[in-house]
Amino acid sequence: MAAAGSGTPLEEEGPSGEAAAPQPQAPTSAPGARLSRLPLARVKALVKADPDVTLAGQEAIFILARAAELFVETIAKDAYCCAQQGKRKTLQRRDLDNAIEAVDEFAFLEDLSIPFPDITVS
Amino acid sequence: MAERPEDLNLPNAVITRIIKEALPDGVNISKEARSAISRAASVFVLYATSCANNFAMKGKRKTLNASDVLSAMEEMEFQRFVTPLKEALEAYRREQKGKKEASEQKKKDKDKKTDAEEQDKSRDEDNEEDEERLEEEEQNEEEEVDN
Repeated sequence: MAAAGSGTPLEEEGPSGEAAAPQPQAPTSAPGARLSRLPLARVKALVKADPDVTLAGQEAIFILARAAELFVETIAKDAYCCAQQGKRKTLQRRDLDNAIEAVDEFAFLEDLSIPFPDITVS
Repeated sequence: MAERPEDLNLPNAVITRIIKEALPDGVNISKEARSAISRAASVFVLYATSCANNFAMKGKRKTLNASDVLSAMEEMEFQRFVTPLKEALEAYRREQKGKKEASEQKKKDKDKKTDAEEQDKSRDEDNEEDEERLEEEEQNEEEEVDN
């Protein structure tokens, strides 16, 4: 994949992260080519929270948003397997905990009991 | 500048929609489970960002780009995401290119229109100057006659 580093640097958009209704990105023209539903502004806020990150290109933000979507789908499906075994139709918190324990890739999520990871933004 | 924790969460409605579409019809999700998934998604983005940043720094770049994120996915053992992400990236680039071309075309059309208007304007000005000169000449003739 030719990575020419063509991502444009982010510009300041002003304060984001209000608890108002989410703003989905523009709908796609081609059916099936689903672009991200997560608002890029929120994803950008998360990326900027990392003190080591200087700049992130628009494409990088977009891919992160899309990856987060895929992640949500994946973990939901894995958690559902546990609920199914218990013959339940409602996903519970414990199904999620089980999935996290069972799946190696979810190891970084262990101990989600803390309200939020330890990130200090100065 | 402290970021409030809720600012770094992804919108609940969108998370819920993604979950519901991933699961079969009729399956519900408790509020606690949904909230935990939402937080997990935020942690995922943070972790992926940190990983991607390592790749950028290795490449002596200060700007995270798409390939850094893809490399991070592999590093995090989410290789299964790489192919769909590459496809999404292609679609995104096409859309961005389309938008850029559309706005450039609009600008070109606007410039063409402005040029045409300016040409008309300068033609009118030339005509006005000619008329003024004619008037002056007539006045001069009259004076001579008086003398």
